[in-house]
Amino acid sequence: MYEPIIEVAGLAVDLGANPVLRDVRLTVSPGEIVAVVGPNGCGKSTLLRCLTGLQPATSGEIRMFGEPPADNARFWSRVALLGDEPAWYPGLTAREHLELMGAVHATPRMTVDAALDVFALTERADAVPLNLSTGQRQRLCLAATLLRPSTLLLLDEPERGLDAAFRSRLAGLLGDYAAGGGTVVMATHDEGLAAHARQVFPSGVTA
Amino acid sequence: MTRPHMPPTSGSAAGVRPVRAYLRSRGHAPVSLTDRYVTMVQLAVLAAVAGQPVATMIGDLAGPADPARTGAGVALVALAMTAFLVAARAAGPVLLPAPDAAWLLLSPLNRGHVLGRTARALLVVAVVAGLVLGLGVLAVLGAPDQLMWRLLAALALGVSATVGGMALAVLGQASQSWQVWLTVAIAGLVVLAVVAMSGHLRSAMAVAAAAPLSVVATVAAGGVVLSALLARQAWAALGRIPARTLVSASTRAGHVSNAATTLDPGALTWIAEDNHWRARKLASRRWPSMPAPFALAWHDWLRLARRPRRLAAMAAAAALPAVLAQAGLAPTALWAAVLAGGLAAACTGVSGARRDNDNPVMARLMGVARRPALAARAVLPMVLSGSWTILALAGLALAGGSGTQAAALAGPAAGGVWWLLGPLAAPALAAGALRMARRSPVDHSMPVLDTPGGAIPTGPLIWAVTGADLALAGCLPALSAPLVPPGAFGAVLAAQGVAGVLVLLGYVLRAGRAG
Repeated sequence: MYEPIIEVAGLAVDLGANPVLRDVRLTVSPGEIVAVVGPNGCGKSTLLRCLTGLQPATSGEIRMFGEPPADNARFWSRVALLGDEPAWYPGLTAREHLELMGAVHATPRMTVDAALDVFALTERADAVPLNLSTGQRQRLCLAATLLRPSTLLLLDEPERGLDAAFRSRLAGLLGDYAAGGGTVVMATHDEGLAAHARQVFPSGVTA
Repeated sequence: MTRPHMPPTSGSAAGVRPVRAYLRSRGHAPVSLTDRYVTMVQLAVLAAVAGQPVATMIGDLAGPADPARTGAGVALVALAMTAFLVAARAAGPVLLPAPDAAWLLLSPLNRGHVLGRTARALLVVAVVAGLVLGLGVLAVLGAPDQLMWRLLAALALGVSATVGGMALAVLGQASQSWQVWLTVAIAGLVVLAVVAMSGHLRSAMAVAAAAPLSVVATVAAGGVVLSALLARQAWAALGRIPARTLVSASTRAGHVSNAATTLDPGALTWIAEDNHWRARKLASRRWPSMPAPFALAWHDWLRLARRPRRLAAMAAAAALPAVLAQAGLAPTALWAAVLAGGLAAACTGVSGARRDNDNPVMARLMGVARRPALAARAVLPMVLSGSWTILALAGLALAGGSGTQAAALAGPAAGGVWWLLGPLAAPALAAGALRMARRSPVDHSMPVLDTPGGAIPTGPLIWAVTGADLALAGCLPALSAPLVPPGAFGAVLAAQGVAGVLVLLGYVLRAGRAG
């Protein structure tokens, strides 16, 4: 039960000639909320990408669920990643994107109507995502990420574009997710979100 | 030399020139005498190389036209002109490089002068297109006498049509009422193509083909005067084009040129697609309950159902092979055209695969394995290409009368089952369309081959054939149908069925490996 979900040891990443991460150590247990904090350019997003295998490490070891991250369906059925805004499917409304997410996953965590309600998108449910505001699109991304079942949430600046009221609601939603047994690792600049989490710097040092 | 400030002029011809000179001095190196010399030599070499074949082709046009092919020929010329007008309208046609749109357009500079360079470029495009169209007109109507004068008249008519059409498109950008006239012109051309194809214009076309030179000259002169008037109107209207339409056209062009030169020509599709859906009002539908891969693929079906006009255009395009057959295309080329059309139809149903390949964020959120997802996404392109090829072959049968043309197309022993080849080729066409949708961006680091005909960049070439290669490999039995001896048609059908399934299966297994 308390086997770590993420184990990172001696991780180093160079982008071009620039060392971005150096000797990162990180262990995350099930049910934890971890906030990766630090100034711009300190390697928060790079660390998240390394955890998903999307960024190859220059050296060091990463184990997710006890094995190296693999870009396959089994891995992505356990890990929900919210990074850059996705390319939306052409011709689908906001609600249909959530419907699709619900149809693909056998046991969604909430109904589409509930997700639209929680993420305050009910009134814009029939709009195509490109016609939503930046904040609404981010809420749609979060809704899709939290609607699907997963054991680990990796969020890269989930507060991007959100108003202050919704940011504090998001902290509650992530708390509920962790209380249900899920694990959250997020890169964030939002002090409110980080306050509800164990804070780490990308160097691996606990803040 | 250095100008620390932008020239403080406004609303005058002198205002734009110094700005352009300033930008030139900061941008590329100025065009030297050597550059001009190299350009002239290149043009001279081009003229020397292309001159002989073009002269031979024009010489072959002498003599009266074949009345049986005139209808189809007129339809093709009308469709080509329609495509020109539609493309002009879709492009803008007046647009600026994106930085010009941002920095020069929203300024006190005279808008007509800012747009002058674009207008000259549009004129060159229209003249070149017009010359090609003129040759097409001459090829259709023939030249019973005085080849040179009839050629000149045809070229004048072609250029008048395209310059006039371009002027109409520019005027349409400036005012809504001209936009209506442009739409009327496009609709008129489509009607002309349909009527010409139906054979109702046969006597009128015979009169046009045999018209004395004096009448032809008068008509050409009338066309030139009309297009000159339209071009003058358009030139005057340049300054009245609203900034908002220019900015949207120029931003679009910015994306397009970015996509074309630096990233990926495949990105062009998204620009039009995203613009379309931004302007649409949709009502959400409940997602049907089905296995995960099919639920994922359902998006392509829904998207297509929401574009009924595109479906109708695709169905109408199934008549093109019949037009080409009437215009005298060889059976093998006709088969290739039918299969290419099937591939194009399949390509309209692979949007989801293309989106997920360009940006896999959603695919990762879905977590569906690649192989089942690809297999489920192959169903729609198979249905589309299969239906389209059946329609096209049925059109050939109708146009040729009791299936003779189609039977000739598929080989002498085709009998009544020639149409089966289309659906049997559908899996291979679907595999080709999926491969095309999932290809990587152009690799500009690939070597450039120096050949006697000029330099060939292999990166764009490989990008262009990716997808079509698989479709071709899977359709080889169908393509060889016109060449097989009588009695072997059953074997062709069997070979096509096996080849189609094997190609699709192989592609799904190989492309979905990592999933």
